[in-house]
Amino acid sequence: MKRTLSVVVSILVVASMLLTSCGAPAPTAVPPTAVPATKVPATAVPATPVPPTPVPPKEPVKIDFWFAMSGKAGETVQELVKRFNESQSEVIVTATYQGSYDDAITKLKAGLQSKDVPAVTQMYDLGTRLLIDLKVVKPVQDFIDRDKYDIGDVEPAVRNYYSVNGVLYPMPFNSSNPVLYYNKTMFKEAGLDPEKPPRTWAELTEAARKLVKKDASGKTIQYGCSFAIYGWFVEQFIAVQGGYYVNNENGRADRATAATFNGPEGVKLLEWWKSLNDEGICINLGRKTADTKKAFDSGVVAMTLDSTAGVRDRIDAAVGKFDVGVGFLPRSSEADFAKSGTIIGGAAVWILNLRPEEEQEAAWKFVQFLNTAESQAFWHINTGYYPVNAKGYNHPDDIAWRAKYPQFQVAIDQLHAAPFNNYTAGGLTGVFPEARQTVEAAVEEYFAGGITAQQALDKAAASVTQAILDYNDTVK
Amino acid sequence: MAVLTREAPAGVSAERNARQRRKEVKQWLAVLPYLGPSLFLFAIFVFVPLIRTVVMSTYATTPIGEMTKFVGTKWFARLASSNVYLNSLKVTVRFVLYTVPGVLALSLLLATLGNLRLRGISFFRTAFAITLAVSGATAALIFMFLYHPVIGTFNHLMELIGVGRVPWLTDARYALVSVAIPRIWLQTGFATVVLLAGMQGISDELYEAARIDGAGFWQCWKNITLPLVSPSLFFLLVVVTLNAFQTFTEVNVLTSGGPIDSTQVVVHEIYRSFYFNGQYGLASAQALILFVIILGLTILQFGVVEKRVHYT
Repeated sequence: MKRTLSVVVSILVVASMLLTSCGAPAPTAVPPTAVPATKVPATAVPATPVPPTPVPPKEPVKIDFWFAMSGKAGETVQELVKRFNESQSEVIVTATYQGSYDDAITKLKAGLQSKDVPAVTQMYDLGTRLLIDLKVVKPVQDFIDRDKYDIGDVEPAVRNYYSVNGVLYPMPFNSSNPVLYYNKTMFKEAGLDPEKPPRTWAELTEAARKLVKKDASGKTIQYGCSFAIYGWFVEQFIAVQGGYYVNNENGRADRATAATFNGPEGVKLLEWWKSLNDEGICINLGRKTADTKKAFDSGVVAMTLDSTAGVRDRIDAAVGKFDVGVGFLPRSSEADFAKSGTIIGGAAVWILNLRPEEEQEAAWKFVQFLNTAESQAFWHINTGYYPVNAKGYNHPDDIAWRAKYPQFQVAIDQLHAAPFNNYTAGGLTGVFPEARQTVEAAVEEYFAGGITAQQALDKAAASVTQAILDYNDTVK
Repeated sequence: MAVLTREAPAGVSAERNARQRRKEVKQWLAVLPYLGPSLFLFAIFVFVPLIRTVVMSTYATTPIGEMTKFVGTKWFARLASSNVYLNSLKVTVRFVLYTVPGVLALSLLLATLGNLRLRGISFFRTAFAITLAVSGATAALIFMFLYHPVIGTFNHLMELIGVGRVPWLTDARYALVSVAIPRIWLQTGFATVVLLAGMQGISDELYEAARIDGAGFWQCWKNITLPLVSPSLFFLLVVVTLNAFQTFTEVNVLTSGGPIDSTQVVVHEIYRSFYFNGQYGLASAQALILFVIILGLTILQFGVVEKRVHYT
């Protein structure tokens, strides 16, 4: 009897553990109804506690805004939302942090299944094809055409990046590109010119050799560089050499049907990258840019790659320790500079067509606010994302800031130096997040040895091509 | 027996039979209110999703998971030849082998120590159990800082003892072990509590009798403690194994399955297929296979290991 009892009990406990660990996904958003209005007690004496309302006593429209920025950038987004809410009385925006870009797209997909989506959401470049294919987007182009809104100030490259067949889908918001961060103080110590960061791979290798430092026992105490195994860098490095990530001219001429990152550009990149680590002048710290950033901040590596969005954080972290220099993404040769350039990175704000029309209108007001000169200048100064419009760039605050911190100028110059073509437009495919992870695994596999760069990339490309074909099947 | 009673000619036994049946119905009516809520929750959160998963594993879906057309066994066929999935199964088995024996051995040791009658032992008992209060994500974050390649504590210690920096999470050879360590640390607290409770339940008379017969500490432990906590040990074996098969949090926080998929356990693979890659049908098939494996293993554990468990 006791025996059967204990068996039953064990099974129940086991079952309950199964239950708790594979529960339904966490709730994704604050329900739109859970905002201040409900706080007013029904029985309260009216009028007295309510703040004075403006003459047209229209209820403000409440909308949700999902964003995917943390740290300083996250705080800045919240501040912008606060400023917008205070600047007018027709719309109240509730901003909710959704985790990383990858988390945000995942949550949006879950939200679309349960029809629980915000009126406006921030979404990274990789989600472009997917969101358009899902037909859940209200293109800002519709509003621009209707209101004769002047979009001319917005950087043409950024505008083109988020346009498909001439229709601008989201409003550009935070754009960035990858830059080389270097420790000027270490450059000086190593006898390198701190005002001249390496421009090519060969120069970078040379500099790294000089920057590496060992102690008496032969242990390396300072590395020349460390680049995170981040798929975005691979995409950028292929683009700056004039290579396509997917076929049909990066999926821009026609829907992409195959991955092409296994061309000579990708192979050349991987071989150079591995040579840096193998020679012991650079160190592989894994996939997380957070780890390479920490290593850079703590003076263990002299050079690293990261988005320009981190300029403010790097400078702040290095105060009193060393001077931070910022340079262009190094190219395979000087000739690359004429041929191609970096891709637009970052994210944009998308209005979703699943919410009622008045919420879409409210969202349009909000995205216009994000695109004002003040907002963009404020955003640039506090993060490092360059202003997506010329007005923000020419705003007095921004000009003064760049005079003080020329590091904030580099990404803008790099953007303007890039010719506009389908290399710099970047790849467009519905399975981009998966492609990026597959490429990262391929880089790791190649670094671990026992396989050539070509083999590693071929394998990854075959897997991504399969994913693209599956995806294309489901959206046609 | 029941057949015999039913066929008995006498009206008395028929009457008794009916009475018995009424009693049974009554018993069920009494039981249902107790079981009802949990059955209801099970139905909503386990059975319905399970059926949905079975259905979805045979369908093609849109990028947001609406089922579009029936594809039969396409996803299962693809999994059978998928190196990625087979690899994730292998990684999971390795992870189970890394963690389960470690947790059981360590918690047995700690519970034995905690069971000693010493001054201030309750402090240590609390200390041993403290990881019960730590969530998987928190544990993983703590270890993420400890493992940091450049500024982490572990590598600092490694340098002090002259080993040099270890690429804990970035080298495919070490990553899975590195992910297993926080899991062992975390689960040992829970396991220690269960075992300690089991040991405290053992009657002192047994030990006294043994001591009178001249048994030492080791003999007492081997012949009294171990057999009498075997039900708890068995329970832990099942639960810790199941948990290990379903590992997700540590992997997601520490490595996201990398490097080179060396820590890509099955549940993380399912997560990646489902949420990240939008392959809902494929992910459902992966989940079903895992379900069958775990079910089989649990039946096996109850069938084989349990024979050796001593219930008092």
